[in-house]
Amino acid sequence: MSEKTKETLDGAAASRRRFLQAGIAGGAALATAGAARAAGDPVITEVQDWNRYLGDGVDAAPYGMPSEFESHVVRRDVPWLTADPVSSINFTPLHELDGIITPNGLCFERHHGGTAIIDPADHRLMINGLVDTPLVFTMQDLMRFPRENRVYFLECAANSGMEWRGAQLNGCQFTHGMVHCVVYTGVPLKYLLEEAGVKTSGKWVLAEGADAAAMTRSIPIEKALDDCLVAFKMNGEALRAEQGYPVRLVVPGWEGNMWVKWLRRLEVGDEPWAQREETSKYTDLLANGKARRHTWLMDVKSVITTPSPQAPITHGRGQTVISGLAWSGNGRIKRVDVSLDGGRNWHEARVDGPSLSKALHRFYYDFQWDGSDMLIQSRAMDEAGFIQPTKNELRAARGENSIYHNNGIQTWHVKADGAVENVEVS
Amino acid sequence: MLKFLKSGLLATAVLIVPVAAHAADVADGEKVFRKCAACHSVGEGAKSRVGPHLNDLFGRQAGTIDGFKYSAAMVAAGESGISWDEQTLTQYLVKPRDFVKGSRMAFAGLRKSADVANVIEYLKTFDEKMASSVGSAEAETQEAEVETAMADKPALAADMPLPEHDGAFKLGRAATEDEVAAWDMDIRPDGVGLPVGSGTVADGEVLYTDNCAVCHGDFGEAVGRWPVLAGGQDTLTDDRPEKTIGSYWPYLSTVYDYVRRAMPFGNARSLSDDDVYAITAYLLYLNDIVEDEEFELSNENFTDIHLPNEENFIPDDREQEAHYADKSEPCMTDCKPDPVEITMRARVLDVTPDSEEENTGGAID
Repeated sequence: MSEKTKETLDGAAASRRRFLQAGIAGGAALATAGAARAAGDPVITEVQDWNRYLGDGVDAAPYGMPSEFESHVVRRDVPWLTADPVSSINFTPLHELDGIITPNGLCFERHHGGTAIIDPADHRLMINGLVDTPLVFTMQDLMRFPRENRVYFLECAANSGMEWRGAQLNGCQFTHGMVHCVVYTGVPLKYLLEEAGVKTSGKWVLAEGADAAAMTRSIPIEKALDDCLVAFKMNGEALRAEQGYPVRLVVPGWEGNMWVKWLRRLEVGDEPWAQREETSKYTDLLANGKARRHTWLMDVKSVITTPSPQAPITHGRGQTVISGLAWSGNGRIKRVDVSLDGGRNWHEARVDGPSLSKALHRFYYDFQWDGSDMLIQSRAMDEAGFIQPTKNELRAARGENSIYHNNGIQTWHVKADGAVENVEVS
Repeated sequence: MLKFLKSGLLATAVLIVPVAAHAADVADGEKVFRKCAACHSVGEGAKSRVGPHLNDLFGRQAGTIDGFKYSAAMVAAGESGISWDEQTLTQYLVKPRDFVKGSRMAFAGLRKSADVANVIEYLKTFDEKMASSVGSAEAETQEAEVETAMADKPALAADMPLPEHDGAFKLGRAATEDEVAAWDMDIRPDGVGLPVGSGTVADGEVLYTDNCAVCHGDFGEAVGRWPVLAGGQDTLTDDRPEKTIGSYWPYLSTVYDYVRRAMPFGNARSLSDDDVYAITAYLLYLNDIVEDEEFELSNENFTDIHLPNEENFIPDDREQEAHYADKSEPCMTDCKPDPVEITMRARVLDVTPDSEEENTGGAID
């Protein structure tokens, strides 16, 4: 093991350590396999257990789980970020995923009062305020409205918020993992509001959750009547409890905190409510002491998910895949560029898979790695013409105390041995 | 669909079935424990947090978990011979600070004796010595549990007559005034939504000490990473700004609204409207916005009070930042002088989970 690799391992996450060790062990096996090669690879030349003995029957797992060899692919938290695990956050393991859809069990969690457990038979959604008739819906009522299916990313406004003062966390799970993307099935919010009859003085909607934090956010009526959904399914199945079962609000392209989970009430009013999560939190303090409020839109952003600190290159030089995600609250991603030399020169990446408005986009850059150090970056552009800024550009405009809305270009330092570190560059 | 109908019918049927009185119940205890979970953890991997962990509690001498900073009173209680069992826990949980005077546990106590019995039963399941005695009790009460659960279900909204409204789909029903009043508790900066009531700084100090200080500190300075509520004036342009009610929050209405809807953490909606006025008044006092301990905050004078930072919030103007305003094609080649230098490494302050270093990173919340 080289000194550099050892250094990295010492300070590395346990999962990364396991991954690297597996990679190194694999490499060793290949090296000693030279002599045996004439005889052939034993997993081919010898009959394996799974090739001889019967496997489990169909009902061994009535609800299927990932292969036991994928048990390291889990959400993880950063304990020091918050006071307590009940009002806290964990992160999507982006470095282990591909495509644009996040599996339900891996979507990051953020709660303010823990996961509310609600029997759908006991759940009600109320609409009150500036409406012709305040209404109460049961879940059964909601499922009788016409439904839509839409793929959207959900990103916490604080995603990458720990990186404002500089490179801090070694892993894109931690630097960028407060994002996920699923297909939602739900009722356009517009239908529900129209059912109650919004008065002409109604300019804002307050969404409220049924959890122990009774989470609330003010949403302008234009957005509420545009593309918001009241969703009860994600990726085809019922919402997971931690994602708001039985019903949550979907506010496409806007910060995750507004996507109120366990949605129980929508109030129509003529002014915003200045709730805790839109005053003391989710406002962006600038260097001059002023703070921006109502910064709802999630800006154009991208990150390389592999290689990254938790997913080093273990195969050595030669044909290599750089894979990553790009997204924008403005709509579709128009283009993603990749740099191997810290932003000096850029190459257009290949976006593959569906390109949907306000959804994650998957990009790849396939190339021959010569085995030398790289400073890899990705830069996204959206259909509205916005270009992902550098971290230094953001700091110049805002200072380092904004917490939220850090969409700066991420740099990973790939070393000759394939280990990867989170760095910042000149 | 079937499930809805069936539970509707059952709910009606159960009304005439008397619910069996039952012994201490683990499942109910688990619910009660949510009040405790803000500070205590229990179960696999439980660690001491604001309060000590509660695994293998029974027979434990009071105040003896290694590494947990108890009040002197709790340590002394243990040394005088108090250890935790069904009897001592029962006495303690009813009024913690009567049983151990000077206990740091701010929780006021469980009012219902059934809650006390159930939460003790729940804690037994995390005690190696006691767990076997719990299993049998659980089996006995299972039947009663099912019946209670069904009796708890209110008649389903779907069974109610469907009032006319003008919606296109004719779905849902009109909300009653009582229903709207029960849930519509939001308060705006202009005072819309404020309930009638009042409370003084002096009353607030007592309530705050009992309900809030355990996390937010006696003076709003916060314990651990819980939110700081007071101080921080003139720090917003510092390297490490302290964003408190007095230094950052724009509106007092947010304080009242949030305390009433979500505090105390783990026991939301337990304070009266007057209590919330008193606590809000005390928070103004801690932030030097009012200075008189006799000050009384009420729905009458509420909107006269403005927080110092109200004027410093501005609309979203991100689009005007230089990097967004410039929509020209981005540079593709030789965009920076060669070579690009590394200016900072995550390893320097490695705060990645599982790192063996002490964590030093800044919090996001």
